[in-house]
Amino acid sequence: QFRLTVGFCVLFVLADVPVPEQPELFLKKLQQCCTVFDFMDTLSDLKMKEYKRSTLNELVDYVTISRGYLTEQAYPEVVKMVSHNIFRTLPPSDSNEFDPEEDEPTLEASWPHLQLVYEFFIRFLESQEFQPSIAKKYIDQKFVLQLLELFDSEDPRERDYLKTVLHRIYGKFLGLRAFIRKQINNIFLRFVYETEHFNGVAELLEILGSIINGFALPLKAEHKQFLVKVLIPLHTVRSLSLFHAQLAYCIVQFLEKDPTLTEPVIRGLLKFWPKTCSQKEVMFLGELEEILDVIEPTQFVKIQEPLFKQISRCVSSPHFQVAERALYYWNNEYIMSLIEENSSVILPIMFASLYRISKEHWNPAIVALVYNVLKAFMEMNSTLFDELTATYKSDRQREKKKEKEREELWKKLEDLELKRGLRSDGIIPT
Amino acid sequence: MDAVRLMKELRVNYEQEVDFLPREAGLDLIVSAHGGQITARSRDVTVEDLWSLTSFFGYSTQSFVQAVSLLDRFLAMMRVQPKHLSCVSLSCLHLAARVTEEECDLTPADELIRIGQCRFTASDLGRMEKIVTEKLRFKSKAVTALTFLQLYHQITLTHATYRKETLSLEKLEAQLKACLCRIAFSKAKPSVLALALLRQEMKSLQSEDMLEISFHIQRHLKIPDAELQLWSEWVARRLSDYASPKCSKPNHRKLQWIVSRRTAQNLHSHRSVPELPTIPEGCWDESESEDSGEDVMSSGDESLCSSLGSDAEGPFFPLHLRRQYLAA
Repeated sequence: QFRLTVGFCVLFVLADVPVPEQPELFLKKLQQCCTVFDFMDTLSDLKMKEYKRSTLNELVDYVTISRGYLTEQAYPEVVKMVSHNIFRTLPPSDSNEFDPEEDEPTLEASWPHLQLVYEFFIRFLESQEFQPSIAKKYIDQKFVLQLLELFDSEDPRERDYLKTVLHRIYGKFLGLRAFIRKQINNIFLRFVYETEHFNGVAELLEILGSIINGFALPLKAEHKQFLVKVLIPLHTVRSLSLFHAQLAYCIVQFLEKDPTLTEPVIRGLLKFWPKTCSQKEVMFLGELEEILDVIEPTQFVKIQEPLFKQISRCVSSPHFQVAERALYYWNNEYIMSLIEENSSVILPIMFASLYRISKEHWNPAIVALVYNVLKAFMEMNSTLFDELTATYKSDRQREKKKEKEREELWKKLEDLELKRGLRSDGIIPT
Repeated sequence: MDAVRLMKELRVNYEQEVDFLPREAGLDLIVSAHGGQITARSRDVTVEDLWSLTSFFGYSTQSFVQAVSLLDRFLAMMRVQPKHLSCVSLSCLHLAARVTEEECDLTPADELIRIGQCRFTASDLGRMEKIVTEKLRFKSKAVTALTFLQLYHQITLTHATYRKETLSLEKLEAQLKACLCRIAFSKAKPSVLALALLRQEMKSLQSEDMLEISFHIQRHLKIPDAELQLWSEWVARRLSDYASPKCSKPNHRKLQWIVSRRTAQNLHSHRSVPELPTIPEGCWDESESEDSGEDVMSSGDESLCSSLGSDAEGPFFPLHLRRQYLAA
């Protein structure tokens, strides 16, 4: 960023100028704001920075309250001003070890100006006089591409504004929608399969949520592909906790639009079920419950077996939070009603682990929850429960017997060995 | 044990069983009670809870049956307030388990109370046990329907050894448990109840020779036909209810679900309400017809972003497009 050598003349305040002269003054102020100042150097150009700040404030107000101000010439100037201010190479993150979950983000130094530019742009886009047919000449694919790159900013305030900006652009520029979707696709795929680094996943997902919510039925094949090829694999990323809420929302919205997608979604989640990260397992369990909250009974029947096999594993987890979260499913009335209808399939799957952890789990709170679950099952399907109890008991007895026989066999062998050793040379073999 | 000795033992128990029957008048009071007293329903629910605990802690059916016997006898003798019912029933279970189970298999009182989600303390339990022991002059195991079931089972086997696998004592015990969960069966003489259960099972196995043995037992004990018939009908009805697929949704005390603070926090943070308004998808080809789309859109543009609906309804949607959209 370099300073224009041409002298800066201080312009009149917009509100003080008669209305017919305002549009031209507006353009001049836009041009002035194209100059970008260096905020890393905190002492330089203080007066100029303040002037620009108050100019930007004026522009925000002007765009919000004025009528008949938006001429065709304004459009390219607005876009130019915004581009100059916001499009920049983002600084590389402090270190490769920046952990988005733990470390404080590096905030944008030029925020005092940047914020106003974003604020201005949003009000411009939302203005009653705004005409996409004119704007589309200047807000084009190249613009959008640069906008998307900014989502990697470490500053969450900036990402929040970007989110609103992109949301409005998507809404108004029908011609850009397919392009935007494709670019987001690419960003996510690169994120999942190459870099596992991108700071704006949550914000992009939030926008996608509002898009998915508006999908027309029947769902286009492109959207279904996106769900399976992009959204499901997003669950495998290490930093899932940063955007899980938004991701889960997208998934559930998809399923509310098209329930036939339930089976591939749940199978996908089961395939990617976390094996070593308990925090992730708890997230998956939360998402699964949200999905089950809206599932149709016919879909439930299709996936109940693999689903409850996984739940049975979760319930036996030595990590008490995982076990607890899984057991809490039985406190969900709708899930309970689904389980009741299908208890003859589900009970045998759950029974063995429930019974085992009731005896073996180290955590007393878990044991108490298991009691609740077993009691619920008992009341649901008493005869099946009795049968399973009887089988379990006889299996355990058979196992115990085998254990005992094995021990006795070893003991006999030991004695035999001992006797043999003593008989031949009186020396006890080691 | 040979057949003769078994029959003798049968006689002895038959003579003793009256001593362990709950007072009929007391039972009737419970059955006809309502409101602020212990009702048949509350007794049944308590017994079901006892069974849940028995099963959970791996106690034998014998402990359960003994506990129910103590409970019914106590309730038929004393007027117990509903708020004490769970304490009474749990003390019966604890007493029964102490004389039935191995020392190492006994669950301590604290754990019983915790899992049973009861509101009283271990010392309350201890005091109640003393009261029950005193009032019932409890010394040793009662003669119950289980006693007879086990004897009948053994007798049947001595006469028909090849049937060992089919006449399952476990199944009979489970069915007995189902019956004991209904106060109606507390009036039955244990020997008769057990015989009714035995015959029911034999009928379902369609074994004529086993039924023959049951007749033999009936004649030996001089059990009247009418009495046996009555209880056989009750048993049949109860077992068919028990096995029916419609689940009895428990509307009694809801179970407590206590979770750790961290899990509780996670439970609520997940419902994130989106702040961004829905953007309806157009049915027109987005990449090409932008001109026609946008010219018409430009007048009501902000409505696209500010409306929350997603169904192409409302005055903002131009009519000709709306028709297209709804047809798609």
